[in-house]
Amino acid sequence: MTLATNVIEAEAKFDQETRLINAARGGDKQAFQTLYQKYIGMVYSLCFRLMGDGPLAEDASQEVFIQLWKKLENYRGDSKFSTWLHSVTANIAISYLRKQRGWLQRMFHIEDTDAINTEAEGSAGDVDLDEYVKRLPERARIVFVLHAIEGYRHEEIASMTNMAVGSSKAQYHRAKQLLKEWMGYE
Amino acid sequence: MSNQQFEQDLRNKIDQLDKNMQPQRDLWTGIEVALSEQHTTKKKPYLAIAASVMVVGLVGWLGLKSDIVADNSPQLVQTLTQQHQQQMQGLLVTYADAPALTNDWQQQLDELDRAADAIKQALAKDPNNPALLKMLQQVYQQQIDLVEKVHAPGWQRI
Repeated sequence: MTLATNVIEAEAKFDQETRLINAARGGDKQAFQTLYQKYIGMVYSLCFRLMGDGPLAEDASQEVFIQLWKKLENYRGDSKFSTWLHSVTANIAISYLRKQRGWLQRMFHIEDTDAINTEAEGSAGDVDLDEYVKRLPERARIVFVLHAIEGYRHEEIASMTNMAVGSSKAQYHRAKQLLKEWMGYE
Repeated sequence: MSNQQFEQDLRNKIDQLDKNMQPQRDLWTGIEVALSEQHTTKKKPYLAIAASVMVVGLVGWLGLKSDIVADNSPQLVQTLTQQHQQQMQGLLVTYADAPALTNDWQQQLDELDRAADAIKQALAKDPNNPALLKMLQQVYQQQIDLVEKVHAPGWQRI
């Protein structure tokens, strides 16, 4: 396939997506459903890792698309739609998590202690990283997912999560230390 | 094993993560229902809204008047609880014929009940603590939100 063919294909896909977005903005649910089918995997994967819980991630993914229906008019096309949707998803998922988590935990800033009691299982070779990420304490998990997996900067994470940049870095360090231990490197 | 090995191993595992996981249940149906709901007038019991505003206002005002809380805490807790119970009853009657969209909402309601009981016990021991009163109000509000969400799919839970 030539470079020119690649460019033409990319432009066609871009145009098709732009058409879908514009149609959905105009109230076309079928166009919106096509966008849903295209992006549900990305949205759910991010929600799943941020939440550490499948059913909660499913609820949050629904919330993302329900809010997206209204937020579409805010998309100006400055960045790729997938990049913009990724950021929208992260923000909604974090906000959703805050609403859903136990009020006691929030009120008294109690971290879940599961992670602390988790013992290393298996050797580094057969570790399912998602399983370990799921067991990280909530704040450490959110920072690890956003920084290490999704590539957000600590400044961006701090803004999304209302924590200080230093706290984001500290939580990242904490997550790495726990993973290192569980993966048998300590 | 070295830190370098760990970093490399972690990087490899991150690169291998599935970024296109699929949910186990169909989410579109619920989303579609919610989008349709956004176009219809949301039926909300006006009495419940009025009661909610009154309770929030009362607690907010009292948060600024800690001396009043200290003197009247038992009565305030009682008033809050009574108003909340009336509000819940009103909501449950309103939604009696509406299908609940999750199975465990009553269990969640019970958990919040236990939370409210714990706060009331703490308030009995520490009546000078307006923060506890606010927490109680927040738990009650969460119960209201829960009942509305599971019966009105326009919001979070579908």
